[in-house]
Amino acid sequence: MILGIENTLDIIRKIPINQTWAKYKLVDITFSFIGAAFEEVSKLSKEFKEEISDWNDERRIGIGVLPKGPYITLEKKRDQVFVVGKGLYSTEVVFLFKNLDSAVMVFTAQMSSHQAVSECRILVDGNNAYAMELNRALSIVQKYLFPQFILNMIFKRPPVLTKRQLIIKARVYAALLPALYRLRNKLKSIY
Amino acid sequence: MLPNYYQYFCPVKILSGKLAVSNIPYEMGLLGCKRAMIVTDKGVVSAGLINNVKQAFSDSDSEIGCIFDEVPADSSNIIANKIADLFKKNNCDCFIAVGGGSALDSAKGGNIVVSERTDDLLKLQGVDKVTANLLPLIAVPTTAGTGSEVTKVAVIYNEDTKSKMAFMSDKLYPHIAVIDPKMTMTMPPKITAATGMDALTHAIEAYICLQKNPIDDIFAITAIKLIKEYLEIACQNPKDETARMAMANAALFAGIAFSNSMVGMVHALAHSMGAVCHVPHGVANAVLLPWCLEYNLDKVPELIAQLSPILGDNKTYSNDKDQAESTIFIIRNLLNNLNRITGLPTKLRDAGVTEEKLQAAAKGAINDGAVLYNPKEVCFDDALEIYKKAF
Repeated sequence: MILGIENTLDIIRKIPINQTWAKYKLVDITFSFIGAAFEEVSKLSKEFKEEISDWNDERRIGIGVLPKGPYITLEKKRDQVFVVGKGLYSTEVVFLFKNLDSAVMVFTAQMSSHQAVSECRILVDGNNAYAMELNRALSIVQKYLFPQFILNMIFKRPPVLTKRQLIIKARVYAALLPALYRLRNKLKSIY
Repeated sequence: MLPNYYQYFCPVKILSGKLAVSNIPYEMGLLGCKRAMIVTDKGVVSAGLINNVKQAFSDSDSEIGCIFDEVPADSSNIIANKIADLFKKNNCDCFIAVGGGSALDSAKGGNIVVSERTDDLLKLQGVDKVTANLLPLIAVPTTAGTGSEVTKVAVIYNEDTKSKMAFMSDKLYPHIAVIDPKMTMTMPPKITAATGMDALTHAIEAYICLQKNPIDDIFAITAIKLIKEYLEIACQNPKDETARMAMANAALFAGIAFSNSMVGMVHALAHSMGAVCHVPHGVANAVLLPWCLEYNLDKVPELIAQLSPILGDNKTYSNDKDQAESTIFIIRNLLNNLNRITGLPTKLRDAGVTEEKLQAAAKGAINDGAVLYNPKEVCFDDALEIYKKAF
């Protein structure tokens, strides 16, 4: 039986380890998934390629948590997005959660990102227009990354995927684990 | 109903009423200041409004160190740097911004340059990037719309990157807002109408957008009531001091409301309309407001419905949707009345917009941060559709 989000969180809460460490790890792992998903979706989705077509080449974007991370930096190269590394590296725009709690709420689908914005839990560092472009790109990635019941919770207007998009979603899921493995090796070689 | 979480902050001291301007030197003393720099524009000077401020200093031991009256329609980083240079050269210790949104934003920009000790504003754009305690800023609005006198926002054009920089920080709140009816008395009827509709848009968007909170709701409702009662009077009879005072206060309340609650898609679409087609902000807001409310109708019918009695509708309704439609009807009526009284455009084409520019404007609108706070998702096609309806 699939555990509900609340049950899963209850279990996480009961783990007798440093709570901050657990939250940090959870967000860090989520960033790895998001990074890998960005790479795969940007490879497979026409819609995503169209969305980032206006981005300047080598634009670097980041997502992170204040004050000590984790962070992830992504970069647009040609018509795809790649992970640069875990950390902030000359980013032009960054989405910053004010604390780990806020990030955990969003990444465990307890709160939508637009609700987090409206509750001042996320701030933008950098150009506002770039932030909006990143937000739309992130929404496309989320569309292919999360199951429909989560999309129904986190989107103002939940997307309804076409057959073609469902096939892409399946391909993203299939490619995600190898992509995570590649990402892990890539990050190992950097650090 | 209370939101799960909200934040509220407004540290601005408000002086509102007849001869409020006369109290500026005394208030400067309380702030520990003796020598003020006035930031204004040529229009304010030629209307003689700056003399009201000068006069206030005639029997005071505080003084005006210098006057900068070259604020353009859109404040820029170059202007902010000029203001900062002049401020330092004249050993001033506080700013008095007299004018509309641009004068206030220019003073805020100059203040950032002086207080953060930088000439590169680009590094400080964004949320909470301005962290230094800024020097005292006294805001004296001469229009009743922007609400800049009580907001933590400054929008400054970057001449180098050719883009608008938005600064948002609690440090950007002016120390004092001076609301004196004498200062808005010379505003022409059409600008009174446009700025009044701007204030109405601030209040309505603050009331329906995602970041709404119960404190701002009070300010928004009060602002809407005042605008409903006094905007047409202020346009018909510009010398009506009561109406001017009410509208200045309405803009102030609406400003407090949206500074915390933020705005939504009307502002996103209006900002882009301003950037692409140079439509004045208040005019764009006025034209787009009813269409955007209609767009949001299915998402927040109860909130839009709650505005109808505030706008003077005494009827009872069996459901929220009908009542919300009545709210939109009243706003359309107000817009049509203002069109009759002042010539305020009711369609984008009457404001000089050409149809081929709508696509570019829609593209800009969805890149505006305000759409994030709109109750309903807005994509390119939605924005374009609304522009076409309002065209």
